[in-house]
Amino acid sequence: MQPFAEIKQVKKKVDEFHLGPVDLTIEPGTITALVGNNGSGKSTLLKLMMNLAAPDEGLINIFQKNVQGADENWKQQVAYQPQRQVGWDPFTGNALKDLISPLYPNWDEELFIEMISMLDVPLTKRYSKLSEGLQQKLTLALTVPRNAPLLLLDEPTTAMDIPSKKNLMDILAEWMDQGERAIIMASHQSENIMKLADYLYVLQSGKAIGHFEKEELLEGYKRYWFGSELPDTQIPGEVNRGTWQVISNQPALAEQFFREHQLPVANQAGLELEEVMTLLLTREDE
Amino acid sequence: MHLPIRLSKDSREPIYHQIEKQLKALIAGGQLPAGSPLPSIRMLAKDLEISVITIRRAYQNLEYQGFIQTTQGKGTFVAEVEDSMKHQVKVSAVYESLEQAVETAINYDYTPAQINEIFQEILRRKKGE
Repeated sequence: MQPFAEIKQVKKKVDEFHLGPVDLTIEPGTITALVGNNGSGKSTLLKLMMNLAAPDEGLINIFQKNVQGADENWKQQVAYQPQRQVGWDPFTGNALKDLISPLYPNWDEELFIEMISMLDVPLTKRYSKLSEGLQQKLTLALTVPRNAPLLLLDEPTTAMDIPSKKNLMDILAEWMDQGERAIIMASHQSENIMKLADYLYVLQSGKAIGHFEKEELLEGYKRYWFGSELPDTQIPGEVNRGTWQVISNQPALAEQFFREHQLPVANQAGLELEEVMTLLLTREDE
Repeated sequence: MHLPIRLSKDSREPIYHQIEKQLKALIAGGQLPAGSPLPSIRMLAKDLEISVITIRRAYQNLEYQGFIQTTQGKGTFVAEVEDSMKHQVKVSAVYESLEQAVETAINYDYTPAQINEIFQEILRRKKGE
């Protein structure tokens, strides 16, 4: 199976901001979250993939086509949701649907109707009159039913309420099951939607921190509690220390250390994804 | 469809193995009879907030061991499992629970006699219920 997208050694400089080098391959059947703080380069990377900006170095192929090539047919196979929609303000949801749906031969009207009713979006109000959350919902309902095999979503849920986020995750999971598809979505580290991802590509201030398979990452971190003060020595893999507790990203070595130094572990636990992200993104600051 | 699977992030046991074991227990215990449809890899991944890579690994292992079957285009179903295999799953589940209990007791420096006494007491209480 050919990858849907290949990003090779891509670099981009925007004023003082440097993105990259980014290396990322997207296989069909996968959901990848681009995770990072504000200004980490997530949106820039999506724009580069859509050829809305040109990389200074490197190469991006989508469906085996160089995105900077003259042939732009690959765009038919990609549905992209930017953070802001330009020019949508004066139109109602109904009018926007009439403008957008004919452009996509695989437009799924049934899915559009389902999303509108599940997310409770009024179609007769002008886009500019909708709340930010409703604007996001309408945008999604006008993006996912395009049924392009590759879906690029730029922070799709930031202004949405919790039940709608859950509904959207159901919709996206079902959409993935309909064929050979892939999703790349930019997500803030605290967004629940990253839990839907299989892979996490973590960026900080333009620098790629890593490309992780979710469980591999989660299983690599453990928090240990002790019945007394810990020795001052650094524990193997120590990434964080609190009162009578320590977090290690090398659990096997840490546990061996505890045994050798006769430090009885009172309790241990895995970490939540959000916590691991925070550790990954703060550690690099130092 | 929501399967009653509960994952522990705190366990030393890898997630794929937890899924595998709990599905086996549901099949051996009769809660999932032969022919029952299972959720797609993607839907189970969403429900458990786990990657498809991990779910696929669990499903592949279960398929290899004859607990489930995947039919192209139709989905994944519980297979006909021989009684001897169901029996084996139950026996190993009981052994594992008891082993864990005994380990806890040993960690608290209980003697074999004391452990036995606790075990007998629990048995008596359960019979009385």
